[in-house]
Amino acid sequence: MIVVTGASKGLGESIALRLGESGHRVIGLARNISGMTIEGIACDVSSYQSVKAAARQIKKIGEPIDAVINAAGVASMNLAVTTDAGTVQKLVQTNLVGTIYMSQLFAPILIRQKHGSFINFSTIAVALALKGESVYAASKAGVEAFSRVFAREMADFNVRVNCVAPGPIRTDLLRGVSDSQINKIISQQVIKKEFQKSDVCDLVELLLDPKASSLSGQVLNIGGV
Amino acid sequence: MDIDQAILMVKEVITGVVEHKALVTDETHLIGGNAVLDSMKLVEVCLMLEDIADENGFEFDWTSEATMSKSRSMFRDIRSLSEELVNQANG
Repeated sequence: MIVVTGASKGLGESIALRLGESGHRVIGLARNISGMTIEGIACDVSSYQSVKAAARQIKKIGEPIDAVINAAGVASMNLAVTTDAGTVQKLVQTNLVGTIYMSQLFAPILIRQKHGSFINFSTIAVALALKGESVYAASKAGVEAFSRVFAREMADFNVRVNCVAPGPIRTDLLRGVSDSQINKIISQQVIKKEFQKSDVCDLVELLLDPKASSLSGQVLNIGGV
Repeated sequence: MDIDQAILMVKEVITGVVEHKALVTDETHLIGGNAVLDSMKLVEVCLMLEDIADENGFEFDWTSEATMSKSRSMFRDIRSLSEELVNQANG
């Protein structure tokens, strides 16, 4: 069984659908699960109690969890000086704190199994220090740091933690970002190509493959930086 | 569950986790400089107590704010952990 957050749209939805097609039982977590085509549990990752309730519900299913994929996230492209306090709070609470809550509260299940993997999500904006994404990048830099350290904490229990950092992928998060801005970011990647949601799904599947059992504590930049 | 039962149970769990390599008394420190458990073993203890709580029909919450505080932590010693277990068992 695989748990995917942010499964109602964007990358989370694509990953959940792909893993379902590959034969995994996928439980999608999202604030709004109406209309989701996969098995879903309503959960707001920014709320500790909400994540705790979801973890309890999933534990009761009694099936091993192969992976927890923390794809839930929000974005706001703005200069730090023009970002309001509420947006700062929301970005950090959802992207960073949400990832931490999911990791803390699902870890005991994976530790008990002595098996499993966490896949968290960062962004190319961290590595490239993209202007206009300071708060978003800060929240995701936190996710990268958390993932690297958490990987060491989990290694003794045979649980792996990795982080995927996509470049510009056409999802709702990129709404309002112009083609020229997207092309400018792509021009800074090692592979100067616009990658798709399917490329992210491929990398997630690669990380879940037993052949990736040597990888933990890594940040994998799609397209390279 | 009363305090004596809880102390007995916690001692048994910890003695098992440390593989009988340390003397476990009511005052044995679980965190800090003189602790008998490293962080990995502490997690193992928590999971085992979670199982015991489950068998006894209550939930053992080891993620509270007081969990790792040196002065207030339930992991100060065997007695404080046992007291917390009884508190949680009795709701």
